[in-house]
Amino acid sequence: MTGEADLATADALDRTGSGAAVAVRVQDLTVTFPTPDGPLPAVAGVSLSLVPGGITGLVGESGSGKSTLALTLLNAVPFPGHVAAGAVSVDGIGDVLALRRAELRRVRGAKLGYVFQASQNSLNPLKQVGKQLLDLGRSHGVRDRRALLRRARQLMDEMGMDAARVLASYQHELSGGMRQRVGIVFALVLNAHVLILDEPTTALDMLSQAAVLDIIRKVHREHHLTTLIISHDVGVIGDLADRMAVMYAGRIVEEGPTAAVLANPMHPYTRGLLTAMPRISGDIGAARPLPGRPPDLASIPRAGCVFRPRCPLATDGCAAAEPPDTVLLDRRFACYVTAGELA
Amino acid sequence: MTATTALTPEQLQRGLRRSRQRAARRWALLVNTPGRALSCLILAVFAALAIVGPYLYPANLPINPKNIYAPPSLAHLLGTDFEGADTLALIVTGARYVLFAAALAALITVVIGTAAGLAAGYYPGLAGSSIMRVTDFVLAIPGFPVLLVLATIWNFGSLWEMAVALGVFGWGGIARAVRAQTLSLRERGFVEAARGLGLPGGHIIRTEILPNVAPYIGMNLMLQLTGFIYIEVGLFFLGAVPYSTNNWGVMLNNAVFQANAVTSPRALAYLLSPLICILLITIALVTLANAVDEFFNPRLRRVR
Amino acid sequence: MIEAHGITRTFAARRGMLGRGGVRALRGVDVTIPDRGAASFIGESGCGKTTLGRILCGLEDFDEGDLVIDGQSMTALKPKERAPHYRRIQLIHQDPYTALNPTRTISQILTDPLRLRAGQTGAGGTWVTERRAQLLELVGLDPDYVLPRYPHMLSGGMRQRVVIARALTVDPVALVADEAVSMIDVSLRLGILQLLRDLRTQLGVSVLFITHDVATARYVGHGGELYVLYRGTVVERGPTDALIASPVHPYTQSLLSAVPVLRGIESPARDRVVPKGPLDERAEVPGCLFEPRCPFAEPDCRNQPPPLVTLDSLGDAPGEAQAHACLHPARRSVVPVPAVRGTAPEDPERSVLPTQRPTEPGPSPT
Repeated sequence: MTGEADLATADALDRTGSGAAVAVRVQDLTVTFPTPDGPLPAVAGVSLSLVPGGITGLVGESGSGKSTLALTLLNAVPFPGHVAAGAVSVDGIGDVLALRRAELRRVRGAKLGYVFQASQNSLNPLKQVGKQLLDLGRSHGVRDRRALLRRARQLMDEMGMDAARVLASYQHELSGGMRQRVGIVFALVLNAHVLILDEPTTALDMLSQAAVLDIIRKVHREHHLTTLIISHDVGVIGDLADRMAVMYAGRIVEEGPTAAVLANPMHPYTRGLLTAMPRISGDIGAARPLPGRPPDLASIPRAGCVFRPRCPLATDGCAAAEPPDTVLLDRRFACYVTAGELA
Repeated sequence: MTATTALTPEQLQRGLRRSRQRAARRWALLVNTPGRALSCLILAVFAALAIVGPYLYPANLPINPKNIYAPPSLAHLLGTDFEGADTLALIVTGARYVLFAAALAALITVVIGTAAGLAAGYYPGLAGSSIMRVTDFVLAIPGFPVLLVLATIWNFGSLWEMAVALGVFGWGGIARAVRAQTLSLRERGFVEAARGLGLPGGHIIRTEILPNVAPYIGMNLMLQLTGFIYIEVGLFFLGAVPYSTNNWGVMLNNAVFQANAVTSPRALAYLLSPLICILLITIALVTLANAVDEFFNPRLRRVR
Repeated sequence: MIEAHGITRTFAARRGMLGRGGVRALRGVDVTIPDRGAASFIGESGCGKTTLGRILCGLEDFDEGDLVIDGQSMTALKPKERAPHYRRIQLIHQDPYTALNPTRTISQILTDPLRLRAGQTGAGGTWVTERRAQLLELVGLDPDYVLPRYPHMLSGGMRQRVVIARALTVDPVALVADEAVSMIDVSLRLGILQLLRDLRTQLGVSVLFITHDVATARYVGHGGELYVLYRGTVVERGPTDALIASPVHPYTQSLLSAVPVLRGIESPARDRVVPKGPLDERAEVPGCLFEPRCPFAEPDCRNQPPPLVTLDSLGDAPGEAQAHACLHPARRSVVPVPAVRGTAPEDPERSVLPTQRPTEPGPSPT
């Protein structure tokens, strides 16, 4: 089905025409927001490399900074936040954060595809989907509109949608699952090789969620994408991602291959989160709630480990300074106590 | 099982202090930009004039027929009027009428309009539709022309009468808006919960719905005040209502039609004084309307 | 004891009359919830579970059928007389924020219904404050911390606990929790679920849990009954754990198949059932409602709606028998199983989107 014809169309739109998977590296990123107590970081010193050609998952609750991080990848930090330090380097583009407006516009959509939550009405309610697609093409200077539509139809067929009907529909005529799929189409239609999905299945029921996850898997594989999925749902990440990172209070507290992190979590927060998750299998009695609550910007501890207030293993040594990353083969985590145990 | 044992007494205190600071910061919204601070000052000054103004001058202002329409001077900072009375004195004593009448009228519209809107919104059946029919009727009445006509049979020149006349015709808009808000609030979780818990309708309207509608009313009130000031000044300007020399509308009337201040430089101060006062008050009210909105709606606030 | 018999509810379409173009939200649903019992309702969006929950609380009317609360039939009473009975079944909303008045403190929110109650029972002045503190402690909150605060100063989990405390002020016999944890942070959800479970044992309150997330239903509904709803009908019901372990109706199986598999700690199930195509709320079919999407549909599934049939089981008491509405039921194991350490596949590659061939019970290729 795809293959030669697909690449031919893709090449027509993509001038770089690279076939290799794109690497995305976030380096020491810090994003701050002004508050009455001064600027505070929503993302603090985060470094993350997306698996080239693979699916990376980012898990975090509210206040973890994951949405801010996602938007920063597009250099789209919502006002009044701003990037205080760090870089986001993408193969073939350089540092996204250094791009100016015109270059940035070109990159967004054409190189980096971003899919919003289904519940956010990111589609124009007054225009048909097909028309918005053409708008997208026009704003990126795409001349061959027919090729654009053809590619969109191809993507929609891959996702099991009735392309003709969907292109002619308005946003309110589509279900949540459909809107999410349309979002993915929009993100990929300009042949981006990096796909960022922010909470792709929140607000969808189980069956729609499973269908969307299948589609993400399929599209990822067939178009050789580098994919980043951000979700608060550990199940979604656990099912889909090759590697996962756990974010808490603006920091990445643990990162590694998904199976390894889930089977053998190193950071107390990851452990606590997994124990506190109601699961479909396993012993119900083994589940334990996590004490306290996720911090917001103002209540993140200013010194020491950010997880200390809720951590069952916290010692006095955790109060002095933030724990550095401990690297163990292809995993890393930031905890004094676990590092001490392993030493 | 406790969700809150993680807090120490110090954290408790700190939390409470932060809440109090947050509350204080809300009031600071009214003065957090130069424009808003100035607006508050303007309104404070005029409010003070409205209250104490008439006591600063004798009931009958001294007139000087030899000094009519005089330009500003040290003796008369804003000049004099057609009788030689001090314009500044006229402005100060006239403030009371303008502001009180507008305020009272606004109060009347808010009271009637809110009551009608709440009732119509919370009891949407037969009661609600009847109230809305009346509201639509009032809304359809063209206020200003009707007041002009009314003026021919009823002299509502006095402060109270003016307030009632304005108020009775002006509550339609608020009623409509409050009803719309009430209808939507009615379906909100906490109102449904209150009904499910068996709390009586009156209580629900008073404690659940009204406080959530209040922000809207507050902002609307500011804008209504400007509207009423215009209407009453307009009525006096057109000479539709009986005379009183220190009324700002009347001053404008005199300035335009008798002193020809629009076409000649004579009595310019007499013309401009009430105009500028009205302008200042209006700008102040509109500026603060925004602040009032932010006061009630935290999402609109911007960290400055 | 709450019994619903043949509850039917149709929402009229905006244009067109009832019955033509209307959406049948519930079609003759029977539910039985014993005292101190637990019932969970799962299904896709639009299956009618929320409507059912609201009908049980008295917030929605029903068109046909009857609701019997502790032996008292609601249809036998006049509308005004029903309120005290419905008050005994309280709803816990999905969104804890809109469920609390943002302009009132927690203290005021809890005092209002308590004062009403005190007026009815003639209790003394301190009863209100004492009961208030008691209820807050029962739901796991520190009264000194929570009472002076406004709802937006509390976390989602705390707010939901306040909502539960408020529901308890009227001494209900049942709580209907409609997606009660879906808008709460993941690390806080378990606390609320445990609270609901503990209320059953401590206060003897029945809990009806409405959700699309089967894992949470399993947690709260432990020891209770699970109802699977599809387009307003109960297609399967039975003891929660037994039903999840071996569902019989293809729709239940597709719901359970949709649960994500956690790599490293779970292995994918042997079977996987995927419905053919999306839900069409308007399509009226003569036979089984799920037939258009069922991968195992047979020709006779179109003839008539399958009746709810009880499987042979341990007994007749509610919660012990498994019942289903399928003409060709087959046990399939579709739920991910805990992986034995070291044997969990690193990448459980699962087949994508094809329609399943009908399988016999037994090992089948995935």
